[in-house]
Amino acid sequence: MSATHLHDSAAAPAGRPNAFMALVRRRPEIITFALLLAICVAVSLINPAFLQPSSLVDIGRASVVMGLFALGVFIILAAGGIDVSFTAIAAFTMYSLTLLVKNHWPDAPIALVLVAAVAGGALLGVVNGLLVHHLKVPSLIVTIGTQYLFRGILLAFIGTVWIMSLPPNMGAFGRLPLVQFDAADGRTITLPFYFLVLPAAALGTWWMLNRTLMGRAIFAVGGNANVAERLGYSLRTIHIFLFAYAGGLAGLAGIIHTCANRQSNPFDLVGSEINVIAAVVLGGARITGGTGSVLGTLLGVLLVVVVNSVLVMVGIPSTWQRVVVGSFILLAAAFFVTAQKKS
Amino acid sequence: MSHASIAPATSAASAATTPARPFLELRGIHKRFGGVHALRGVGFTIRPGEAYHLLGENGCGKSTVIKIMSGAHAPDEGEIILEGTSHRSLTAIQSLSAGIETVYQDLSLLPNLTVAENVALSEQLVAHGGRLARLFDRARLRETAATALKAVGLPADRAFLSTVVSDLPLAQRQLIAIARAIATRAKMVIMDEPTTSLTRREVDNLITVVERLRSEGVAVLFVTHKLDECYRIGGHAIVFRDGQCVAQGPLADYTKQQLAELMTGRRIDAERYRTGTAGTEELIAVRGLSRPPYLRDVSFTVHRGEIVGITGLADSGRNELAMAIAGVMPAVDGSIAVEGRVERIRHPAQAIRLGIGYVPEDRLAEGLFLDKSILENEIALVVRQLANAFGIVDQAKGRALADTLSQDMRLNTRNLDLPVGALSGGNQQRVLIGRWLSIRPKLLVLHGPTVGVDVGSKDTIYRVIQLLAEQGMGLVIVSDDLPELLQNCDRILVMNGGRIVAEHDARAADEDLLYRAMLAAKPASAAQTRPAVATESRP
Repeated sequence: MSATHLHDSAAAPAGRPNAFMALVRRRPEIITFALLLAICVAVSLINPAFLQPSSLVDIGRASVVMGLFALGVFIILAAGGIDVSFTAIAAFTMYSLTLLVKNHWPDAPIALVLVAAVAGGALLGVVNGLLVHHLKVPSLIVTIGTQYLFRGILLAFIGTVWIMSLPPNMGAFGRLPLVQFDAADGRTITLPFYFLVLPAAALGTWWMLNRTLMGRAIFAVGGNANVAERLGYSLRTIHIFLFAYAGGLAGLAGIIHTCANRQSNPFDLVGSEINVIAAVVLGGARITGGTGSVLGTLLGVLLVVVVNSVLVMVGIPSTWQRVVVGSFILLAAAFFVTAQKKS
Repeated sequence: MSHASIAPATSAASAATTPARPFLELRGIHKRFGGVHALRGVGFTIRPGEAYHLLGENGCGKSTVIKIMSGAHAPDEGEIILEGTSHRSLTAIQSLSAGIETVYQDLSLLPNLTVAENVALSEQLVAHGGRLARLFDRARLRETAATALKAVGLPADRAFLSTVVSDLPLAQRQLIAIARAIATRAKMVIMDEPTTSLTRREVDNLITVVERLRSEGVAVLFVTHKLDECYRIGGHAIVFRDGQCVAQGPLADYTKQQLAELMTGRRIDAERYRTGTAGTEELIAVRGLSRPPYLRDVSFTVHRGEIVGITGLADSGRNELAMAIAGVMPAVDGSIAVEGRVERIRHPAQAIRLGIGYVPEDRLAEGLFLDKSILENEIALVVRQLANAFGIVDQAKGRALADTLSQDMRLNTRNLDLPVGALSGGNQQRVLIGRWLSIRPKLLVLHGPTVGVDVGSKDTIYRVIQLLAEQGMGLVIVSDDLPELLQNCDRILVMNGGRIVAEHDARAADEDLLYRAMLAAKPASAAQTRPAVATESRP
């Protein structure tokens, strides 16, 4: 294995299993995809109702908010950090923005509201980035702190009352259909317009990561922050950008969550961080940083959403969802680790 | 402030050649870290197309001065004149933009990125002045990377370009780090101990690369401990001691002996260390040790009080032999007899029970707990013997033992609570050897005992090795440092293709003889890489 080691393809000495392991190591999302496929096949065999468009639309709709969160978590994970404050950022942004629009400019155009949500989230993200960079404290600790902080400020100073009726433009955006059709049982099935936000954000994130120097810098920092700094990458710029980007996505997720549910509840969202981080890790991003892909992240989100929404269809009680997600994480993690050792 | 008491004819030599305009000049640089005065007014000049060797022991300020040139540290006092412009300090991007490239000792590669990205991403970053909100040009990345990889003799095909660096063996990573340095239009390349993990053949390749760089007007600054290699490359010496520049001038004006003395400030005896003679009683008999393709039917003996050297190219099986004896990477066939007791060693714990100690090559990854104290590191192997019936470790006994070991190993500190990470490479190595002495081994296998260790520490380690042999211990030194083996051993075994192909009396052998044996009947391509050896189990 000495001279042939020059070429990665030739590195696996004997046959299929190692070649497969090497592939899994390079593209761990294959495992995510296989798991997803296995569940879908199993569920549709037990309950063919799963394959109906209505359940697919449900899954699509349920993926949007979690998907936006997951993209943010993913890029921070890729840079070797972690963020648990994004749900608090989302709650803060959506509630204050809804309140602001409702009280001061009820007819604000929805595009402006969305932009304001991204900007507000990004601003809170910048706070995270500055703290992580200048305090030199691990991002986990900083974002645990800011999660409490953002949520505390929201509940203490901005409000605790549910907003049950949204400003008209926001409500309309939540109902605006992208695709609408009648199902076999006569119900009208709607894939909402806001669904498009997720693929758009995913595409944008993919482009940023793979086609800009910032994207490569994020992975460089995830590989080894000290080395990246030595090579001339500005850690301050990267930290601030990262957390602002994730914050912007969280703000967007928050406002969509509000529009979709047609109400704004300041107690919402916080508490679902682990679910999102689980999805990202299931998508093949290593918690130690520097790896992962946008596609994997989306597959991880899909996997978690499918498990959450589909197990009920085959008669597994919803309390078992956690057991299933937990087992998947352990299974996938064990698989990734084995793949790393083998190659 | 001139300590250049032994420096001969410095001024005469520099006047002899008509000097080109300096690329970089440091003047009166001071740097303090808290209470430590790391640099005390150093200055030197770097001219285009010249080779320089920055010499000095660990802690003399070499790395600090590199960091000042590469923009990682700002000096407290002094002046940096870069292409005629004076600066108080440089930033990393300023230094890179000016064409100062550094190949760090730790290589500073990003393990998760591809070969192409590691080699050529910096070029785009520097071209944009460090600004990140710029498009990333894939085609240009591949092109730049391919050119640089070819220049250092690595493959430049697409498969190799997209290989993730953590999948590559160490020697190739070393060359990738060098490729990165020359991927940009470098004007000066700083190489911090670039040959530590290279075999002689790879060093030859590196020297060719350096020659070409110099012919293109690039200045090269080596930081190294290996004086032999300096002479092979030639150029100027810059000698540091205790944060001061004690000598500079053409390398040819100094003998190796003089340089060693300038570096350490004391006399170093470069002659043979081996003073004692081997006993006649057979201590260890290795019989038919095999683990294809690394080891094939390896047999040899070690007598009481004997020092046996084992050398060979990186893929000759020498590393695997050391690990097989220690049970770290057990042989699949063959046996090892210790004082007549024949055993097949399958696990490190078994080797330890038999009285075989193993000081691994990579002391950081395989041996030492860097954030733990000297005390804890020294007693790590005997902690169970030090514990009472309740499993509580007898602290006083442990401290006494560690104290004895530290003195035996001539550690330069008596503070046993100091974390090992705070020690110099040479002292770390002594702590590691000291730990093995705690089990009073019958055979001690030293794998690259002075890799990354400065001249002064080498001297101490060699003296300790001789002392151990005098006490009747058998020693095996596995190393590619041929002078080290010639100075210390009774016999030297040369490995090639997993077999022992030659055995020489160290008194009668010389480097050429050994080197010929290492290369004999060796397919040329196979020497290129070092086999990816995984440490399969540890104690």
